[in-house]
Amino acid sequence: MTLSNVDTEGLRSTSRKQEFGVAPTEHILDEFPLTSAYDVAIIGAGPNGLMAAAYLVKAGLKTIVLERRQEIGGGLATEETLFPGYYTNPHAFYHMMTDYMPIMSDFALNSHGLFFVKPNTQTAGIFSDNSSLILYNQIEDTKDSIAKFSASDARTFGKLMRKWRKIVSEVIAPGTYVPPISPIDMIETFEKTEIGREVLRLSEMSPAEIIDENFESDRVKALLLYVACMWGLDPNESGLGFMVPLMVDRAMNKAQCYGGSHKLAGALSREILSEGGTILDNAEVTEILVDSGRVTGIQLFDGRQIEARAVLSSLAPPLTFGRLIEQEDVPPEMIESASLWEWDKWSFATMSLVSQEPPVYECDDPSVNDALMVVMGFDSLDQVLDHFSAVIAGKLPESIGGHATVETRYDPTLPRIQGHQVSFFQVHAPYEVQGGWDEQGPVLVDNLITLWKRHCSGLVDSNIVMNSLETPIDIETRLSSMVRGSIKHGDYHPLQMGIFRPHDSCVGGRSPIEGLYLCGASSYPGGLVIGGPGYIAAGSVAEDLGAGKWWKEPEYVRRYVSTYMQTIG
Amino acid sequence: MSDERFDVVVIGGGHNGSTIAAYLAKSGLSTCVLESRPECGGGQENTEVRPGFRIDPHATYLYGGAAPGFDQLELWKYGMRMVYYASMAGVATLDGQAANLGGRWRPDLGDEAIKRHSPADLQGPGRIFDQLGEDASRQLLRALFWTPPHPQGLEVNPEDMPWWQVFRKYLPNLYFKELIDMSYVDFLDNFVQWDPLKVVGAFGAWYCGAHPDWEGMLLQSLGGTLLYSYASGAPRGGMHTYAHAIIRCAIANGARVMTNAPVGEIIVSNGRAVGVKLSQDAAFPEKTIWADKAVISGVDVKQTFLGLVGKSHIDPSFAQRVDDISLKGGSLFVMSVICRELPRYHNDDRYFPQEVYPSCVIAPADSFEYFRVQTRDAYSYKKSPELTPEHLTMMICTHDPYDSTRCPDGYHVLSPIYLEVPPPQYDVTGPLGINRHKEEITKAALGVLKQLAPNMTDGNIVDVFVNTPYDSEFRNAGMVGGNWYGIRQSEDQWFSNRPLPELSRYRTPIDGLYLCNQTSHPGGLCLMAVPYNLMHVLIDDGVVTPKSWWYPSPFYVSDPKPGTSNIKTPTDIGGTSISSVDSQALAASEEIR
Repeated sequence: MTLSNVDTEGLRSTSRKQEFGVAPTEHILDEFPLTSAYDVAIIGAGPNGLMAAAYLVKAGLKTIVLERRQEIGGGLATEETLFPGYYTNPHAFYHMMTDYMPIMSDFALNSHGLFFVKPNTQTAGIFSDNSSLILYNQIEDTKDSIAKFSASDARTFGKLMRKWRKIVSEVIAPGTYVPPISPIDMIETFEKTEIGREVLRLSEMSPAEIIDENFESDRVKALLLYVACMWGLDPNESGLGFMVPLMVDRAMNKAQCYGGSHKLAGALSREILSEGGTILDNAEVTEILVDSGRVTGIQLFDGRQIEARAVLSSLAPPLTFGRLIEQEDVPPEMIESASLWEWDKWSFATMSLVSQEPPVYECDDPSVNDALMVVMGFDSLDQVLDHFSAVIAGKLPESIGGHATVETRYDPTLPRIQGHQVSFFQVHAPYEVQGGWDEQGPVLVDNLITLWKRHCSGLVDSNIVMNSLETPIDIETRLSSMVRGSIKHGDYHPLQMGIFRPHDSCVGGRSPIEGLYLCGASSYPGGLVIGGPGYIAAGSVAEDLGAGKWWKEPEYVRRYVSTYMQTIG
Repeated sequence: MSDERFDVVVIGGGHNGSTIAAYLAKSGLSTCVLESRPECGGGQENTEVRPGFRIDPHATYLYGGAAPGFDQLELWKYGMRMVYYASMAGVATLDGQAANLGGRWRPDLGDEAIKRHSPADLQGPGRIFDQLGEDASRQLLRALFWTPPHPQGLEVNPEDMPWWQVFRKYLPNLYFKELIDMSYVDFLDNFVQWDPLKVVGAFGAWYCGAHPDWEGMLLQSLGGTLLYSYASGAPRGGMHTYAHAIIRCAIANGARVMTNAPVGEIIVSNGRAVGVKLSQDAAFPEKTIWADKAVISGVDVKQTFLGLVGKSHIDPSFAQRVDDISLKGGSLFVMSVICRELPRYHNDDRYFPQEVYPSCVIAPADSFEYFRVQTRDAYSYKKSPELTPEHLTMMICTHDPYDSTRCPDGYHVLSPIYLEVPPPQYDVTGPLGINRHKEEITKAALGVLKQLAPNMTDGNIVDVFVNTPYDSEFRNAGMVGGNWYGIRQSEDQWFSNRPLPELSRYRTPIDGLYLCNQTSHPGGLCLMAVPYNLMHVLIDDGVVTPKSWWYPSPFYVSDPKPGTSNIKTPTDIGGTSISSVDSQALAASEEIR
């Protein structure tokens, strides 16, 4: 089109030299310099990039964060997607690890007006006969709800959750904030404890087997399997079964960020800026500069160059190693990793909707309306399995089912007209659909509204102010790191998890290229705003650059390290 | 929830609120900014209405290139970057004409077009920037916009007003006394021959500053267009990046910024503003935040007094005067169009080749009558809009030819497309009237665009987003009337009369409460000017003592309140006290001569 073509295909292309129409001989105001030098340059101001920056700035390192978009935060986005006047959280709309993330206490984020609302009524399922099942934060409340369907399941759930919560608090949550253990070491060290042995046993099972083995009511199974797999586990795949306790427990521990998820990004940026760090937006990185096997800095799309002793990339291997670095500078194992990398096995389509009155669910339990999330469309384990099989096969499931949230229920600040309601309905969706999203999008919207109306009689057309749909292609367009709409930057399957995320030569975020670190969702332990990759990489960088690592692991992490990691090198 | 205490509390994190916070924080004061929306920036926004596509619902160009704030606040440190455009203006008519007028960085484009259409206009005042040059332009602009209004009671001859002093100095051959009483339209009638050029001049001035028909505002109108051509570009990524730089400057200097924090009340005790109380729907409901030194309202003058202070603290005659402040003349119906091809005017690429595509096209601009018709429309009470082309001259802007960050490859964003309409408050059918005609107006406007550029078909247009002045009011709490410069920018509401004479020095009848919104002098356009001007008064009042980075306007006339201790000698801050007003005015004029 013009001199300012966006070369979306070849990020490394440096043909876009002429980014501005005119290069005035005299600048009328001082601008950010064409060349500058930092200790640390971080590619991507998503949650992990920002967290790493916050730790490193405070460690005294001169740090800059480069963000391609105008807004920082990555998935921590709160945007006026329903224009004019209505904000939504188009990506991370709740947070599952706020009670564990070390950054919350290391920076006392809560004392600066960052609030997470964690209601007791967490995740509801509504079935075709308008009966409901609710997962509360409190186990006994949950058992009461399960007992409507099966007294035995209620008892099982109580016993199981006592065990599963230990797995989460003693193993999985602390393991999120330290580098991974190799599978061989894991087998040896996890055998030492009962909880460890259970983790190893579950790992060998598929999510469907775990749920099926424990429960008898089909509806209980349906909801639990849905919440166990909704963020990316294949229900039929074994190897990651230990994630099931985590996902079920976290489905009872969701928290919504008051004022929008972007507030967490704002709070982190304040920590970075007030300690002297720099954030540059509209600053797409086109090249990571490597000289004699060592990283020397980065190059921006507008020609600016930034020297850095350490570069942290929050992008997945195909972007970091496949596009941003000259191929002759990339070690063979990382070329292989980039070429073999598998993006998420499914993405999401989300319809946001503004209504004058909230959608009110008609079912046997009115407290469903207090739930942070309501799952609709699944009466049985088989339906859930069919749903995920279809979407993994690259199809939009024929029978529509998904999860909905009335965002204004716990965050009335999102609409600019007080009293109006902002909600969304989200479904799993393949990146490509037959006929294309332009054609299929409106059909999906119709189907979603029809299903929603079936459970909410008040959701009539006269009540709906406007709606909008975000497809997997939109996700990729907004956040280009989420290639093919991969919200986790890469699939959760056994060969891309644990020490293999993204590759076993990158443990602790250290890549084989000296000075280059990986800190994004494609690194261990993964995505979903859990804050692990950024935290772990920050520790490695502070150590390698000889900066004072001023923070200490939380007590629950230290216990995990002494129990499971001490015997290994 | 426990109370908090700061030196200064700023209500509103829009352009003016965040800039004064940056100034104060940099001066060492503990400062808190309270913003009602999830994001600061106010009218400096680039909303990603569709993933990957950003529109400009309000501000769009960098008018403030001459602002002292860029170096005083060192915004470059916080990521300030510019994109300079080859062409800032084009014009097209329905009868098949189109001309690329270029801009500061490519004056040759304008020369060529004018040579072709009207050689007599080549040396005309339309080319005033070329005649002035950068340094004199900056001085003229600073005299107009970055100079605090004179104190009440100070008698200054009209020709000695700061801007006329500068004008006389640099353009002595163009200066004659009659200019002072002229409107910009009179000026155009006298000095511009080619009608489309006159139309562009008039519309350009209207959208950049005072309405060209308003008496005695010639230089203010011209100044608006000069602000536009001074930078001839926009911040990289859009105006919100500029907002980011300001806010990050404030935070880096220790300011506390709270979003989702609408203020419900300014707490007044014994006639003094001592703090604010957040409203019920704030992230911290009804929290009290105390201000030891000052409360600064970044909200418009009407809501500040009639809403936040409340009628119990002001007298009825003052309340009436505030209520009567005119909102007319800057209310914008803003359309944003996502399309696959840029408008190809008269189906011919040669008018506006891609590499020098005019960032802003004013069209249709067939005759000066179009301007008259639209003026009548925007200033009258109307039931429903008339939608023929002469009622729909638009300012059609696009940035992506020069800034690739605005949208994905293969697409373009025409945003904003401005159309001036009456403020909602003046609609005879009620404030929502304009929204009832939203689709109708949009359809008619796009129809006119298609007449001008036949490629703007339904197939080319991917999406359309609209914010009416009514929408702007509820989106942006401080944007009263959906008016991009707050309140009418006529002589009755300008400089020492803005927004009211007794409020023109940013002080208010409530001690410790200051105004910092575009409803104060010099108005909107994200110039960092209201805060810069306000700083002079805060220094006088002993609220703040900036360090050596601060420099004041050479035209500032000081009038410290009795009992304040921060009086500086002219060599310190360059101002003087009211007692030496005559010598001060003289000194200022000497300096400029």
